[in-house]
Amino acid sequence: MNTRDLVLIALFAAIVVVLGLIPPITLGFIPVPITAQSMGVMLAGCIIGAKRGALAFLLFVLLVAIGLPVLSGGRGGLAVLAGPSGGFILGWAVAAYVTGIIAERFIHEGQSESRQFGGFFLASVVGGIVVLYGIGVPWLSAVTGTPLLAAATGSLAFIPGDLLKAAIATLAARAVYAGYPLLPVRA
Amino acid sequence: MLTSLYVEGSSWFHRLPVRAKLIALLLLSLSLFATQSLYLLAPAFLFCGWLYFSLGMTLRQALARIGFVFFTILVLAAVNLFLLPFPEVAALALRLMALVFFAAAVTATTTISAFMDEITVLLKPLERMGLLNAADVSLALGLVLRFVPDIFARYEAIREAHRARGLPIRPLTIIGPLIILTLKDADTIAAAIDARGFRRQ
Repeated sequence: MNTRDLVLIALFAAIVVVLGLIPPITLGFIPVPITAQSMGVMLAGCIIGAKRGALAFLLFVLLVAIGLPVLSGGRGGLAVLAGPSGGFILGWAVAAYVTGIIAERFIHEGQSESRQFGGFFLASVVGGIVVLYGIGVPWLSAVTGTPLLAAATGSLAFIPGDLLKAAIATLAARAVYAGYPLLPVRA
Repeated sequence: MLTSLYVEGSSWFHRLPVRAKLIALLLLSLSLFATQSLYLLAPAFLFCGWLYFSLGMTLRQALARIGFVFFTILVLAAVNLFLLPFPEVAALALRLMALVFFAAAVTATTTISAFMDEITVLLKPLERMGLLNAADVSLALGLVLRFVPDIFARYEAIREAHRARGLPIRPLTIIGPLIILTLKDADTIAAAIDARGFRRQ
């Protein structure tokens, strides 16, 4: 890993911290507040790629674990990791990795704009929603004893908000890709 | 801007070495998950709660740190009441709350530098296998802490620019420029790090 990769990883982790400091926005038509931070997983994979995106989130989780209040709302510390949603936080790095793998496969220079939008959206949904819930929900069910089916049904309430986040992440990732491409090229 | 969750104090728990506390947390979670008995879980809950509240925080501070996690646990316990027998729900909730108390107590009594020393020890085997460089991890952590205030200032500047032009403040129009402007710095910072020879390779 060269120094530039190291710096990109650290800067992206810092961006995710800042996204957590931005006050959440509630949209009128869905009850879930949109915190910019939970878009970070999708953004990391789509913008700096699989390996660097995953490492940025490992670094971020390390910040949480050593007791810095970097999660949105000033939360942090081992208590959050020990709590019911610990699986979602530990799943972030994997989710960012999968997002990155898909983005690296599907996005190339010279594609039509709509194909790039499609690729980023697919990567954000599969990595940031399917993989993340695939880790977080069974974890939550195992820790709290809530039957898996009930836990899964309950988390459906968050899906509309997450799809909206995927859409925003897609637009932002494509804007960055057009202005300052960093996504590694996959042979 | 990023004040650590460490709380000054000199309780016996403050004086324990980090490693002992982390091993205790691990053993506690393994043993609590191994039992269903309320006769073991209720005392564990009371002990961890007493431990957490005896660290020298005001009640408000103490509750602010764990309130959100407890809220989630209680909501899930309320759901569980419809699906599982009561003793089981009580056991699940007590176990999780005990763990959260203990984990929060470890966080509140351990400084960032103590954690970092422990992480360096934990990374040693990986370093020997040639997978990573422990110094890189501390460098990356330092970079994050150094750049968060700068990036936040940049966010504020972009927001002010929106305001000055009468544009609505939307995440979409802010995140793109924020990321591009920040990541564009990477080359300069990387060159500065290499010029000072911080990473000998």
